[in-house]
Amino acid sequence: MSGSEFTFDGDLGELERLAEEVEWFCEEHGLSSDVEFDLNLALEELFVNAVRHGGCAGMKDAARVRLERTDDGVHVEFSDRGREFDPAAVPAPDLEASMAERKAGGLGLHLVRNMMHDFAYRRAGEWNHMVMRRPV
Amino acid sequence: MIQLTQEVRAGWCLVAVRGRADSAAADELESALRSAVEQHPKVAADFSALDYISSAGLRAVLQAARAAQERQAEFAVCRLSAPARKVFDMSGMHHILRIEAELPC
Repeated sequence: MSGSEFTFDGDLGELERLAEEVEWFCEEHGLSSDVEFDLNLALEELFVNAVRHGGCAGMKDAARVRLERTDDGVHVEFSDRGREFDPAAVPAPDLEASMAERKAGGLGLHLVRNMMHDFAYRRAGEWNHMVMRRPV
Repeated sequence: MIQLTQEVRAGWCLVAVRGRADSAAADELESALRSAVEQHPKVAADFSALDYISSAGLRAVLQAARAAQERQAEFAVCRLSAPARKVFDMSGMHHILRIEAELPC
């Protein structure tokens, strides 16, 4: 088993490093740019939610990411120390709404749910803990 | 990192967007597209060299499209790269944006 773990402060400036870590992980495991894209996007959406809406802004070691190559894809864990928040409870956006009716929120989590499988959430102490899988 | 370049050709303002339209770059993308829409009646965003776009980047595009609608300016998103195509398709952007396979000129 070969897992990689990263820790991020609650600062959007960390997105660059997040993208680099995902890129290295995918290179190391010979994963395609398509897989890299989906992992990067899912982690950005969850991280940015935690920083912007979860109260993680300015927090040291606000979020942790763990990636592991498994037989059936990439196992992804994302944890943050923000307010209790279950992304699975957010309703799907209305994709056929007109431009005027479109709401700002929900799109990011919609993308995460489309790209990732077997999403599960639990609250453990002060942490939101999410696991999911990107099939390969 | 996002790179934005603008040129005017045959009455169209073409905004080429390269690199990454993530949450860190979304404000820059939105203001570039908005200012193009405010100064030109016809704007086309070229996404052929866009490597990455998240929901923050999509929102920037939607805000620019709204601004264009208010001004009755034309706004088209052209030549979607494969990653951009994937995110646009998943988000139903074709319902609300004019998406073109080629540049208008």
